[in-house]
Amino acid sequence: MVGPFAWFKWEALLKDGNVFIEGFGITALVAVLALGVALALGVIFGMLGASHWKFAKRASRCYVEFIQNTPLVIQVFFLYNGLPKIGIVLPVLWVGVIGVGVYHGAYIAEVIRAGIQAIPKGQREAALSQGFNYWEAMRYIILPQAQRIVFPPLTNQAVFLIKNTSVMAMVAGGDLMYRADSWSSGNIYYGPAYVVTGLLYFILCFPLAQLARHLERRAEVSA
Amino acid sequence: MIKLEGVHKHFGHLQVLKEIDLQVATGEKLVVIGPSGSGKSTLIRCINLLEKPSYGRVIVDGVEITAHKAPVHKVRQSIGMVFQQFNLYPHKTVLENLTLAPTLIRKVSREEAESTGMRYLERVGLKEKAGAYPSQLSGGQQQRVAIARALNMHPKIMLFDEPTSALDPEMIKEVLDVMIDLAHEGITMVVVTHEMSFAKEVGDRVIFMDEGVILEDGPPEHFFNNPTQERTKAFLSRILR
Amino acid sequence: MKKWISICAILVLSGSFLVISSLAATNDAPEVKAIKDRGVLKVGVKVDVPNFGYRDPKTNKIDGFEIEIARVIAQKILGNKNKLALQGVTAKTRGPLLDNNELDLVIATFTITEERKLSYNFSDPYFTDGVGLLVKKKPGYKSLKDLDGKKIGVAQSATSRAAVQAEADKLGIKVEFLEFATYPEIKAALDSGRVDGFSVDVAILSGYVDKSTVILPERFSPQNYGVASKKSNEGLAALVNETIVGLKNSGQLDKLIKKWKLK
Repeated sequence: MVGPFAWFKWEALLKDGNVFIEGFGITALVAVLALGVALALGVIFGMLGASHWKFAKRASRCYVEFIQNTPLVIQVFFLYNGLPKIGIVLPVLWVGVIGVGVYHGAYIAEVIRAGIQAIPKGQREAALSQGFNYWEAMRYIILPQAQRIVFPPLTNQAVFLIKNTSVMAMVAGGDLMYRADSWSSGNIYYGPAYVVTGLLYFILCFPLAQLARHLERRAEVSA
Repeated sequence: MIKLEGVHKHFGHLQVLKEIDLQVATGEKLVVIGPSGSGKSTLIRCINLLEKPSYGRVIVDGVEITAHKAPVHKVRQSIGMVFQQFNLYPHKTVLENLTLAPTLIRKVSREEAESTGMRYLERVGLKEKAGAYPSQLSGGQQQRVAIARALNMHPKIMLFDEPTSALDPEMIKEVLDVMIDLAHEGITMVVVTHEMSFAKEVGDRVIFMDEGVILEDGPPEHFFNNPTQERTKAFLSRILR
Repeated sequence: MKKWISICAILVLSGSFLVISSLAATNDAPEVKAIKDRGVLKVGVKVDVPNFGYRDPKTNKIDGFEIEIARVIAQKILGNKNKLALQGVTAKTRGPLLDNNELDLVIATFTITEERKLSYNFSDPYFTDGVGLLVKKKPGYKSLKDLDGKKIGVAQSATSRAAVQAEADKLGIKVEFLEFATYPEIKAALDSGRVDGFSVDVAILSGYVDKSTVILPERFSPQNYGVASKKSNEGLAALVNETIVGLKNSGQLDKLIKKWKLK
């Protein structure tokens, strides 16, 4: 009986194990860098969105709405095939980092904006009355308080972000998903390939998901 | 020390302050009284620009803070403010609440900020609470910490925006005692309050506001004994019996 | 004597008739019987390869050389060439769809390899094609040799990749391969300069030539397309192969190839 999970297919996968390990490394690297981009954008646009400066609010709104309401695959496709038409050729690793980072930055911006707005406005007024400027008030007074509210949804975003790095497979990104597609479409040993790939994603995401749940429980206890 | 010239403030169509002219001399204790919605909170918040006047000028310690690109943050450092809802920083201990702004903004060393901070805590009777978090304190204790926090910036002016309105009756006195104690110093004070006894005892001058204008302006005796306006009389008859 | 012969003849004839009818009965393997009971043949085909299997955006109908082969097989099994349920497949979906019995057959420019024969049954080849290279006219590439150190886009099904790699090794040059899920994506990558060449079987490639691109004259290792079925469905595979061989021998296959301008 030759099923999708025949033993010789597993043997072939073990022999080519480093294909998957390399892909895993690239996925992890892109996830870490993209998370950095997403956090930076999210914090900045989250603060702008919660500010009272009309132009900043509008800019933040535009970014969030535009990114949230267009598919990630189209954004990545644009970075990969659109930008070269105006002379910008990003290495594919950076297409992944920027594409996924900018995409999740928009979601994180909303999380952070909601977190900031959950802090009573008296906190900002107290800080301003002491002579802090807007950014200092954010940094020392508002964000540290918002952190507790923001952390659980932020961790969930990190999980989504890791999974969404698989969009790089579409543009030959060399990530785990790409390696799995490439390896298994040649020999059609897709059974073991996608089981192992799923497990590797699980290894990346599960600890983060656990952390999110732990933080959620802690926030509930202290609230 | 404080000068308001033709200050207007409106929120949408609602006119909250109408053409306010007001001067507060150095060391003066000004008490602002008026029914709710009279604009008194907006007035005091215009002094440190938490509320930006729609037009008119605000001059504090010789600096026109309503001017374009005025050093607002700098001027605010010398204006302490105490809020109705205390607004202590809940993620910081009592002592950290006192030292945060001095060390970060005035660039005072941590040791110095802590030693002056402890002195102010002692003065408001809360030295032993230095390591506690705001949530562990009663409302009256929190408000006393808020006063000490403002004082640790060594302000020239102290603004009090209904400091006892959110307190249970048995805690009002402990806060007023601290404010009375403070009034004996030379610091300039503007106090929005419903505590008539405080106005009588401490106020150099009382202004009465209604519907965005100042109706009475004079020493407390004059205000309580010979009000000139009908609305003032009606207000007083409602709260004094 | 004559009588004796005629009796013998009758016996032999009826005997052979019995043998033939019993043979016909055993020929109906369970999977073939299942198709007959269902009354429709489920076939995975390409929908994005002009002349092989292509969905016309105007009529929304799928047609092409491989669809005609599917019709012939439907005629053979069900006696009606239109009892077909066509489904678009990609390199990624065609294997699983066979394994899950979602499809009876895949006729979708599926190249026969030794490795793949371990997992699926393949018929004799119904079409043989070489791998070619589509490049932009602008840089003036004349042959694979000019693409030393360049990137080549291939579809996720490594036969064209292996073919170009083997040729590159022979020439002693280095090329990098980027794999994409569909042909339009490779063409987009070629247009944007992400890849310098687009390599796949020439018949497929010819559907993507436009004003700015050209197919290089070289052809690499011939690719044989076969009709694939699930490994365990050997009865069906035999029936399909019989049909393909029949098509070839009758010259009908060549007519179809001509009709679809594949040579």
